[in-house]
Amino acid sequence: MLARIPPQTLRILALLFVLLAVLLFFSTQVPNYLNGRLFNRISSSVAIMALIACGQTLVILTRNIDLSIGSVVGFVAFATGSLITNNPDIPPILLATYSILLGACFGVINGVFVAYAGVPSIIVTLGTMALFRSALVEYSDAKSITTNNLPTWLIEFPNTQLFSIGTLQFRAAFVVAILVVIAVHFALTRLRPARKLYAVGSNPEAAEMAGINSKLVIFFAFISAGALAGLAGFMFLARFGTITVVAGLGFELKSVASAVVGGVNIFGGSGSVIGALIGAILIDLIDTSLVRWQLVSEFWREAVLGSLILLSVAADAVLMRRLVKWRVSREKKETKPEVQS
Amino acid sequence: MKNFIKITAAAALSLGTASATLAGGHSVSLTPGEDINMVLLPKFLGILVFDQANEGAQEAHAELGNTGELLFVGPTPENSTAGQIEIMTTSATQGQGAVMLSNNAGDQIVPSAVAAQAAGTRVVTWDSPIPSGEGEDVFVAQVDFGSIGTVMADMAHSILGGSGQMAVLSATPDAANQNAWIAAMEVALKGEKYSNIELVDIVYGDDQAEVSYNRALALVDKHPNLGVIMSPTTVGIQAAAKAMQDEGMCGEVGVSGLGLPSEMVSYTMNGCAPEFALWDFRDLGYLTYYTAYGLASGQMKGEIGETFSAGRMGDFTIEEDPGRPGSSRILMGDFTVYNSENVEAASK
Repeated sequence: MLARIPPQTLRILALLFVLLAVLLFFSTQVPNYLNGRLFNRISSSVAIMALIACGQTLVILTRNIDLSIGSVVGFVAFATGSLITNNPDIPPILLATYSILLGACFGVINGVFVAYAGVPSIIVTLGTMALFRSALVEYSDAKSITTNNLPTWLIEFPNTQLFSIGTLQFRAAFVVAILVVIAVHFALTRLRPARKLYAVGSNPEAAEMAGINSKLVIFFAFISAGALAGLAGFMFLARFGTITVVAGLGFELKSVASAVVGGVNIFGGSGSVIGALIGAILIDLIDTSLVRWQLVSEFWREAVLGSLILLSVAADAVLMRRLVKWRVSREKKETKPEVQS
Repeated sequence: MKNFIKITAAAALSLGTASATLAGGHSVSLTPGEDINMVLLPKFLGILVFDQANEGAQEAHAELGNTGELLFVGPTPENSTAGQIEIMTTSATQGQGAVMLSNNAGDQIVPSAVAAQAAGTRVVTWDSPIPSGEGEDVFVAQVDFGSIGTVMADMAHSILGGSGQMAVLSATPDAANQNAWIAAMEVALKGEKYSNIELVDIVYGDDQAEVSYNRALALVDKHPNLGVIMSPTTVGIQAAAKAMQDEGMCGEVGVSGLGLPSEMVSYTMNGCAPEFALWDFRDLGYLTYYTAYGLASGQMKGEIGETFSAGRMGDFTIEEDPGRPGSSRILMGDFTVYNSENVEAASK
């Protein structure tokens, strides 16, 4: 049975298993742990990172990286907040569209440099990370966006309860994030243009030979990441209300961590956004649980979190390698009789 | 010719200083009109309180008729430590008269600050000092760090109605001013009045909205009987208040600490953050400018016991910093406690 499941699905099952193990472990350590509250905490908190990790995954799939994504989230959150503060009557859909388009514009800048100027993405986005952040500092003029200037619908949106199962509340922000991730996953697995991301990432030369315009594909990946970061910026504004120039600081590395823990190959070509989503959930869960765990002091939390990430990635790598080996040997055994006959 | 003018000007100035000293008793009255370039260096750019400090410094700059330049330069948020060191070094190379620093680089700033002093640049810290005091002429303290502890304990006492559990949501574990304030509060809590208040936890939100928000929620999950979250940082206090509001817990858990009226007004009015405190950053910038101007123009020596007059704010005396033996400070003074009665007026 194990042999029939595709490796990507297997990887996600393995992640879910790790998630379950973490849950069980902390439920023995932290009083009052396994309840609806925990689900509500994690689900509301992960909604933003899920979108960013999803965008980061699209870029990583093409053998690139987007380190500017946190600055984009921050800028979009601020710019959107400033727009709605000055024009409180803008309809919700239009405001969200503005965020997404603005994010995509930042993606265009990254995409042009990486895809068409041929500068390595780590250098381009390291530069734009600082550039976009400085642009935010300049644009903000040291003012903050504050909650009392935002319309009520915006502030209430992320915590609006759409439906609930028992004490598990499904809130709007989380549901939106999940729907977006599922849509992107569907595109990546079913739609031809999106499949090209994998082709370019796993073997750029072969992709070119097959007639794929890899520059366009990489350009598209950065724009999509920018658009997703823009949507995340919108959600960030709605959730936190108060936006200063430090908004989204550090999200670039968190999103890379979520993707990698979620089984996205940092060298491109393989991985899924569902994996990245579970990666984001796993990191958030560990982080939240560690704060509630009496045994670990504040000063060690980061170190423990880092070790757990390393451990999960290493375990994943070892398990997958074993599995691939086991499969290859099985396939050999199965094909041998055919060769002989 | 130019030199001559300078010399006569200097002579006139020293005369002026002398007469002022005589007239005003021990207080040094600063002579305006000197030509001194100065740098105001915040932790990083884009934060309201630092811009307010700059407004205060610009006010003093105009008042003192300094013909030199007052630069407001700072690093970007993601580059704070390295950027501060770089600006300190550059300022020394440029021969700036004084650097006014809100230190975010811990003791890592010391070598560049010492080098700046050796190059003739006076280093005046404000808001956040250099922990070891090395490389620093004087620290302009917004409030007595010890008294912050008492004020925070008092706010907790009033929100809890005398007894209950409180937890602290701080910035980063290595922020010198935060740690000093929390330590001061722990000392204050030993007093008889607070014997029924229990400090159950200290967590750190890294001065980031999302981390602070999640930490605040983790606190209420971890301690079901928690009554107060005390956050001595403007980022933490508003994130905690938002988290309590979002989860509908404002009635059970009150948020307090140090916050900006403009950011906190809605939470104070709806009861999520009934009381919080802050000092005036404009005044802090103003006083810091007067101090730096006095030192850089040579009118003040920066010795302990020296008194000078800082324009509209009155007289101040340099004293030994009780929190950092061997270092000197100037104490600005009290801060304002905000509640539903005065927060709306202050937020405008």
